[in-house]
Amino acid sequence: MNLSVIRALVAKDFALFFRNRFYAYITFLGIVFYLIIYFVMPSSVDEELDIGLYAPVLPPAFKVLQTEEGFNIVSFDSDESLKDAVTEGIYHAGVSLPVDIMEKFTSGEKPLVTLYFSTSATEEVVNAIETTVRELAYLQTGQTLAIDISSEVLGTDMLGNQIPTRDRLRVMLVIVLVMFEMMGLASLISEEVEQGTIRALLITPMSTRELFAGKLIMGTGLAFVQGVLFMAIVGGLNQQSLLIITMLLLGSAMFTGTGFLVASLSRDMLSSMGWGVTILLIYAIPAFGVMFPGIITGWAKAIPSYYLVDTVHRASNFNASWGENWVNLLILFGFNIVIIWCGIMALRRRFQ
Amino acid sequence: MAQNAIIADNLTYLYGDLVAVDHISFSVARGEILGFLGPNGAGKTTTVKILTGQLKPKEGKATLLDMDVTRNVERVQAEIGVCFEETNLYQRMSAIENLKLFARLFGVTDFDSYALLKRVGLAGREKDRVENYSKGMKQRLMVARSLVSQPQILFLDEPTAGLDPTSSEAIRNIILEERKRGATIFLTTHDMMEADKLSDRVAFMNQGKIVALDTPHNLKQQYGKRALKARISSKDGRLESREIDLDTPQTADAVRGLFEKEKVVTIHSEEATLEDIFIKITGRRLTE
Repeated sequence: MNLSVIRALVAKDFALFFRNRFYAYITFLGIVFYLIIYFVMPSSVDEELDIGLYAPVLPPAFKVLQTEEGFNIVSFDSDESLKDAVTEGIYHAGVSLPVDIMEKFTSGEKPLVTLYFSTSATEEVVNAIETTVRELAYLQTGQTLAIDISSEVLGTDMLGNQIPTRDRLRVMLVIVLVMFEMMGLASLISEEVEQGTIRALLITPMSTRELFAGKLIMGTGLAFVQGVLFMAIVGGLNQQSLLIITMLLLGSAMFTGTGFLVASLSRDMLSSMGWGVTILLIYAIPAFGVMFPGIITGWAKAIPSYYLVDTVHRASNFNASWGENWVNLLILFGFNIVIIWCGIMALRRRFQ
Repeated sequence: MAQNAIIADNLTYLYGDLVAVDHISFSVARGEILGFLGPNGAGKTTTVKILTGQLKPKEGKATLLDMDVTRNVERVQAEIGVCFEETNLYQRMSAIENLKLFARLFGVTDFDSYALLKRVGLAGREKDRVENYSKGMKQRLMVARSLVSQPQILFLDEPTAGLDPTSSEAIRNIILEERKRGATIFLTTHDMMEADKLSDRVAFMNQGKIVALDTPHNLKQQYGKRALKARISSKDGRLESREIDLDTPQTADAVRGLFEKEKVVTIHSEEATLEDIFIKITGRRLTE
């Protein structure tokens, strides 16, 4: 392969890409837009439940509430002000104890404890607070629970150290950013086919291997540089940086191969966008799984981008090492070979 | 070194069941301009594609500069320049960028793009993006691009189609200059006058076959009718036309009689055009 020829082709493709105002603006604004989204997202996870408490008399057992891990208890002067605060959604729940709670406990009657919940309170929150109040009442009346509980976190204990929303979103943002270049490349290639310039290239002594090498370098380079730049700015390379960079490089090459496939199906920029968005949505599914754990199951592993998303997420957010990701790396490499080969074959047919 | 730059031997190409090129054979000598004529769909473009290595023939063999095109595509393509009928320039690049790109693809290092652009009349506009050029300027740039490697064989597909007379003349001059340089030129055109003026020989192609191949002069001799056309003034002052066939034994008497008996206003010889000959051979017009 003639490197001078490949360099000329890459320079030409970069010039054409950035002289297309739409793709030039989208590339620049895309990075800025995704950075803004990242930085406006919460940088920490509120792991405590904010609970209001109106207790004219606080039974001794209930004092535990104020030191219980996971509860942020705020006292109120009246039942009315507690109800207002919960109604406004400032607190997830409110616990209102009656004035005569101690008398009732002493006389063996059942005091009426009122629980208030905000409209956004989930079933888990309702159940947790009801159970806690019942447990405290048992304790207050001298009845102990008949079991001891031993809690154990399997894997990394993330209590107090949960992944913030923006760091979960980070994977989604970088994948979409990198994938967007797939559409730009596809549009560039289909434009070359439609305008016949590819025919002019193929009539030169340059080989088709050099042509595809140029396109692969251009597409991969453009996507990769943006991906790495974005990850560096948002702190995604603070740990396992080499692993993440390697995966981004493989991912960029895979999306470039996909760009070849899209180009072989497209006639112009609009059809490139149509096909590109369809494939982008499919490729983005594993990233939704990172955003909302549990919504997707094993079938997502059939999507090639899963291995990229999974590795980048685990490496950047959980410091997962090469040893923990080598299977993902191999599978992604395999998908790369298949997709790039299919893309080249499809484009060859299109050129002919 | 063989005398022929291009040898087509029994070339055949099919698109599905449609025979686009039907067992054609011809050769083009080094330094010769061959006009390749035929109506749309005759198989001209497919023939050019085979000769330039874009298509592999289903049968037969194309040889350019003693090299089998199918087996030596890249080597053959290094020696040829192609000017396509459709404008396939990079529109968002300047003229100079277009030329420099192709010079690098051809591996040409000592390349003076300004001189080439000056030669095709584009000096002063070399840094403008091609999308801002007129059709004539784009076509001249297409011709310039085909010349970046100083090719031994030039394939020009309708190089003057739809151009103004000045641009057409500029391109014709370049073709003649290239022939002077020693290049072999394969000229595909619909313009009969152009083919007649530029070509050493012309080939007529129809329905995938070459139906005639000779010099324009010989074709006219073989198929055309030579005549004298005169306009005479009749006794009542009206102008009338007379035609005298030049290829009959009675020609001399007829000419003498014309001048003795009539008042000749104008007289000129008339020979068949290539269009007339094509119609005579194929029953079709070239512009169909």
